[in-house]
Amino acid sequence: MTALMYLTVLVPAWAALGQSAASVERDRTMMKGERQSRSGTGYSIETLTVAGMTIKEYVAPNGTVFAVTWRGTGAPNLQLLLGEYFDEYRNELAAARERTPGIRAPLVLKSSRLVVERGGHSRFLWGRAFLPAALPSGIQTEDIQ
Amino acid sequence: MTCVRGTVVMACWCLLTACGSDNSGNNTPSTPANALTVSIGASSVCTNVNEPCTAVTVCQPGTSTCQIISDLLVDVGSVGLRIFRSVLSTSLSQAVDSQGRALGECVFFADGGTEWGPVQIADVVLGGSPPARVPVHVIDPTFAGQSASQNPCNSTVDSDPQATGFNGIIGLGLFRQDCGPVCANNDNNNLYFACAANSCTSTAVPLSGQVQNPVWLLPVGNNGIVMSLPNVPATGAATASGSLLIGIGTGTNNMPAAGVSVLTTDANGVLTTVYKGKTIGSSIIDSGSNGLFFPDTSIPSCAAPLQAFYCPPNSLNLSATIVGTNGRQIAVPFQVANTQSLVQTGNAAFNNLGGELSVFDWGLPFFLGRTVYIGIEGQSSPLGTGPLFAF
Repeated sequence: MTALMYLTVLVPAWAALGQSAASVERDRTMMKGERQSRSGTGYSIETLTVAGMTIKEYVAPNGTVFAVTWRGTGAPNLQLLLGEYFDEYRNELAAARERTPGIRAPLVLKSSRLVVERGGHSRFLWGRAFLPAALPSGIQTEDIQ
Repeated sequence: MTCVRGTVVMACWCLLTACGSDNSGNNTPSTPANALTVSIGASSVCTNVNEPCTAVTVCQPGTSTCQIISDLLVDVGSVGLRIFRSVLSTSLSQAVDSQGRALGECVFFADGGTEWGPVQIADVVLGGSPPARVPVHVIDPTFAGQSASQNPCNSTVDSDPQATGFNGIIGLGLFRQDCGPVCANNDNNNLYFACAANSCTSTAVPLSGQVQNPVWLLPVGNNGIVMSLPNVPATGAATASGSLLIGIGTGTNNMPAAGVSVLTTDANGVLTTVYKGKTIGSSIIDSGSNGLFFPDTSIPSCAAPLQAFYCPPNSLNLSATIVGTNGRQIAVPFQVANTQSLVQTGNAAFNNLGGELSVFDWGLPFFLGRTVYIGIEGQSSPLGTGPLFAF
């Protein structure tokens, strides 16, 4: 019993997006970053600084992370940040690149469940992922930066 | 000089000084030594619309064993030379860290494209310039026991030049190295990896060991580049061809024109754009993006599979103002036409291709009909000290 509980604690669902705000701290530990918190109107923002990247996790009043953004030099661990949504993102990305050979654009993946955008250049990559259905009232998608 | 023409690349073994005589970016008697030719729609590999490509010569370090690599995407949004291993017939020198572990790199591009492979040392010849010894990125999904689907990039990485639409990328952007101090100072940068026994760990790499811009290592003309592309009709053009000059104000052919305006960028190469009264940070100028991407919910997007692009019923005359960190503002008029109609022409070069994005990405249409100066960080030219754009 003790062993089982121990396992449960040690092997949480990796993730931020769609998970509780507690997962932010797990992300910070996994990515060896620093953390700051700020409360906004109707939601709060947890900021992680990892190497040259600034990662923001947007937390709804119910404690769920509904959006993550990243910007800076380096690369975020999207598997960690997108959690259970990572496979969907990766499959959609592969499919999008298959669909439009000959036309390349900054990545914009949109479904009713998940939106992911990526862009930038050397020394500056940015991106954002959010759950449209989980946005608290009052926040506009352009507020997620 | 003996050259073997292959299906994908031209392989060329010759003395450096005699190497290169084709019309795709290398030196010919009529071409200035600092000039490369940039072409859109003129290649069986670079088949993407608005995809500017050139050729460079790559040599085994310190030898005259060289190879012309054609069909390289000219990307001022990235830094460094990246070549698919499958088109390399010349063996380069593997870069290692202080513990002798092989260095690899993950590179992420805006379109979601991701490249994995070793960092290797090459002598790179741009046009008729002297060779620059430089760490380059060899694109190879199988490097260090990895695969296209399982690799340190946590992405499906590119593995085929034909499918990707280039033999490689020549990144001639604003910086000396692709990553810079962040990767020199942080082991957890997630770009550079040290690999041993098929296991790769994110690692810090000193500046001199990072993949770098070959231009800044040249003895002359090491302060930037000047890219000039012709304009095209509103329905596009089947091909477009222009020039890429090494150096800014270092010779007779690369002196800045009178009236050129300079926009300095922040340390990460980022500018601000003001569009329809909204100030948009995180703006970039990038020849490797094939359209003008910006936020405007009033413009309808195309139906799938072109949903990333705008499809207004009629061509739109628009304008935005780019603002540099030096406070300089330049208004840039542009057009956005119906992408579906444009691609149906079968043309390859369009000055009015646009799409949706939450920030402003001034892609290839910005470069058509314009001469753009790209000044490298910390390097001086008559336009000032980079990083800067001028046009």
